[in-house]
Amino acid sequence: MNRRRITLADGRYLIFYTFGEEEPETASGAKAGAEPAEPDAVSEAEEERGV
Amino acid sequence: MSELRWNPLMGEWVATATHRQERTFMPPADFCPLCPTKPGGFPTEVPESDYDLVVFENRFPSLRPDPPEPAVEATELYPVRPGQGVCEVVLYSPRHNSTLAEEPVEQIHKLIQVWTDRFTELGALPFVDYVFEFENKGEAIGVTLHHPHGQIYAYPFIPPRIERELEQSRSHHAVTGRCLLCDIAGEERRDRRRVVAENGSFVAYVPFFARYPYEVHISSLRHLQALTDMSASEQRELAELLKMVLVAYDKLFNLSFPYMMVLHQRPTDGGAYAYYHFHIEFYPPLRTATKLKYLAGSETGAGMFINDTLAEEKAAELRSHVAPVVWKGSNDG
Repeated sequence: MNRRRITLADGRYLIFYTFGEEEPETASGAKAGAEPAEPDAVSEAEEERGV
Repeated sequence: MSELRWNPLMGEWVATATHRQERTFMPPADFCPLCPTKPGGFPTEVPESDYDLVVFENRFPSLRPDPPEPAVEATELYPVRPGQGVCEVVLYSPRHNSTLAEEPVEQIHKLIQVWTDRFTELGALPFVDYVFEFENKGEAIGVTLHHPHGQIYAYPFIPPRIERELEQSRSHHAVTGRCLLCDIAGEERRDRRRVVAENGSFVAYVPFFARYPYEVHISSLRHLQALTDMSASEQRELAELLKMVLVAYDKLFNLSFPYMMVLHQRPTDGGAYAYYHFHIEFYPPLRTATKLKYLAGSETGAGMFINDTLAEEKAAELRSHVAPVVWKGSNDG
């Protein structure tokens, strides 16, 4: 299990959990060249680690 | 405005969280704040176009790590304290119309690993004494968002229902030298009539003392206190038994069964709780396909539940809908 923690625009944290081979799916939008989300919620990578 | 007010009559804290009145209520499926943010779509809570499982701080928390000072002054009779704690939302799946029962057992296994991680991280916070993981499912329970999700409350104290279970467990252990939940699970397994399902590590049963017609408890067969005490194989077997119970619930009336699901684990306040025992409790509000069990005068005002059904009969109904669980995909952690 891996987790990637980001900080949302209002200061709250959000954690993406990924598992085994399904991991690349989590960021599929960005990897597929999709437009980035228009955040209210700008994401900023803070932490990436295996657990 | 958020604070904890002491109820001297019951000896327990009550949280006020007036900002929660403004929380999102039943948005249309196209504007679900828990779905991924689709390219060109409106921004949801999750600023990426896909995810597997996600945890985030609740936008409308009852408790927060850095709470404001209470808006009212405490008195000797009425202590008040800041509403310190953490409220998280756990997204089970990016699939808006899914439910935990409809997710594959692999996804439930992942959820158990996420629960374990959150228990560890939140429980390590110095101001957190108890990590409470739960799900409210269905409009009958009062959910405001249909997307499959659960919640976590990290309390700055041990909540009263847990405190009472701890005291009962402590007393039982002092008198008998045995674990109360081990004894309950043992009695249910000997009797068999109320057992719904079991595997090598867990047993699910409608307890002898069920308050709700379809109340189910899942107890570990090994004496342990929290998800963090489980082996990898035990976590897999917990996923299997959860899947069995959830599917049986949905098959019972051929509808998406509403419930409250709560995990009871040891406190994280640094105390010794070797006498306590991990378990999960389900409180479904339905007593028939179309009738609700209301918490009325006796239940709410006196704390005495009246169950209009027999646990033995309800367990047999659920047991008839239990099906084997098949692992399809990768399930490594």
